[in-house]
Amino acid sequence: MTVVKIGRVIAVPVGRNGAVAAAVTAALVVVAAVATLSLGRLGIPVADLPQALFGGAEGKEAFVLGRLRGPRLVVGIGTGAALGLSGALFQTVTRNPLGSPDVIGVSAGAGAGAATAALFLPGLLPVPLGALAGAVLAMALVYVSTGAGFRNPGRLIVAGIGVSAISVAFTQYVVYAVERDRATVLMAYLNGSLSARAWDHAVTIWLVVLLTAPLVALLARRLDMTELGDELAAGLGAEPGATRTAAVSLSVVLSAAAVSVAGPIAFIALTAPQIARRLTGGPGPHLTLSALVGALLLVLADLAAQQLPIPGNLPVGIHTMAVGGLYLGYLLTREWRKGTL
Amino acid sequence: MAEGNTVSTTGLGVRDVTISYGGDPVVRDVSLDIPDGELSVIIGPNGCGKSTLLKSLARVRKPDRGQVLLNGRDLWSYRGRQAARHVALLPQNPSAPDGITVRDLVRRGRYPHHTLLRQWSPGDDAAIDFALERTDLRELAHVRAAELSGGQRQRAWVAMVLAQQTDLLLLDEPTTFLDIAHQYELLELCRELHGEGRTIVAVLHDLNQAARFASHLVVMREGRLVTQGPPAEVLTAELVGDVFGLACDIVPDPRTASPMVVPHDRR
Repeated sequence: MTVVKIGRVIAVPVGRNGAVAAAVTAALVVVAAVATLSLGRLGIPVADLPQALFGGAEGKEAFVLGRLRGPRLVVGIGTGAALGLSGALFQTVTRNPLGSPDVIGVSAGAGAGAATAALFLPGLLPVPLGALAGAVLAMALVYVSTGAGFRNPGRLIVAGIGVSAISVAFTQYVVYAVERDRATVLMAYLNGSLSARAWDHAVTIWLVVLLTAPLVALLARRLDMTELGDELAAGLGAEPGATRTAAVSLSVVLSAAAVSVAGPIAFIALTAPQIARRLTGGPGPHLTLSALVGALLLVLADLAAQQLPIPGNLPVGIHTMAVGGLYLGYLLTREWRKGTL
Repeated sequence: MAEGNTVSTTGLGVRDVTISYGGDPVVRDVSLDIPDGELSVIIGPNGCGKSTLLKSLARVRKPDRGQVLLNGRDLWSYRGRQAARHVALLPQNPSAPDGITVRDLVRRGRYPHHTLLRQWSPGDDAAIDFALERTDLRELAHVRAAELSGGQRQRAWVAMVLAQQTDLLLLDEPTTFLDIAHQYELLELCRELHGEGRTIVAVLHDLNQAARFASHLVVMREGRLVTQGPPAEVLTAELVGDVFGLACDIVPDPRTASPMVVPHDRR
């Protein structure tokens, strides 16, 4: 434990394990990003990459960097970070790995909201706002239907799965109710996809990440304290109720933003904080590390989506769903054995 | 009522406090001043509201009616951390975060002394070292809390509230999950801390432990304050019969001469 001091105003203790893990993960994100830009038939060779990035790109390279893979990569990093952060916040509040926005229907709700905004109210309601409205509605439904807020993990998961199913059904209805060709465009999106992203998607997700990051940072210490249990946290002056409300709100905003640019990509929010926790082995929500791990996971999954020789160009969401689904199964079994479910 | 009290108080107390859970009052119109420098123990049958009263004194449970006062000011008009620099509460079921070490756990007690941007203060290490020393946990500082025995873990929690460096320490049934030897070990620690001039309020279940370790006894029944005072005056056979429904003799403890409850046989 070292204390990082900036002048007399700022002093923040930093755990060594966490700092090392964050640095390594950040380096791996860079490696994965380079691979994303340089692998494959249209890839820019690593040797030419610095010139293309910093010296101005021309011709094919300009197309790959500016249109084909650049925005996709930048959106991927931002979305992965948003999902990792969102998952870490929600899991800390629910004190359960399964109390994650992608399990309990926040992502599915955001997807339904985004689909409604894009297909029923085109031009009237911006897609990100539609996603946010859907996410908030889904979360409110879960909150009400557990009868105990977010306290009871078992009820939370059951209610969440129900709300998730309702959201997906609603999305299907929206897709069927509109003309076939408009719906086809949406189908890839609804699985979670990073293909054909544009720079305005990148601006949306990064704007949200950069605006919420300072708020999350200010909340981090209080979230640490809520891990001690409500009464102790309250006795220490950490206001657990208000802290939870703030954390859930930020988590929903981040989730909705991620869904609005890339669709409901499954399981990044679930797995990233869990991996972060295992990397450091210590307590705490590991917010920074969860964001970095989320970014790494999503960029790697998208790399697989782009480069694996699977016919049909599967969207990245299918990959994360396949891998994350196994992990979800493992977690469910473990919680069931522990008797929390 | 608020004035005219010549007993030296800590400045912490409740005035006509009523606290309800789901419409049923658990604490009814209680007024109480916590005496300064005493080891006060609150006793009473299950559900008499003693833990709830303790929580209201620590700014954890807001009263439905009445006031909790700290130095003449409503406790709820303080900011959370400000109040937590005066009063520390160790609740019944705190949870240790996964993977936390004893030292990091104790460090969390320093939270009220930090601000949003300054999450470290110069007094931190000294306060943590003192708390670990006092609870005999120096050797175990870098052990994970999950690996501690029940008695050690409870001492770690006490260390955490000690590191908070408050004038007042509130302990909610601190002996509940401990083996009998560890119960006494913890109570001895409370007595030592009291001997060093610290004001402690504890909720205890065991009447004999309460009588032996308390310097001031507070008795509650059905949400109301029954009586308070030195154990030798307060703990009588009539009171135990009235409040706990137990027929008994009170005899002097052969070791400490504090009152000791000896129940009658039912036959």
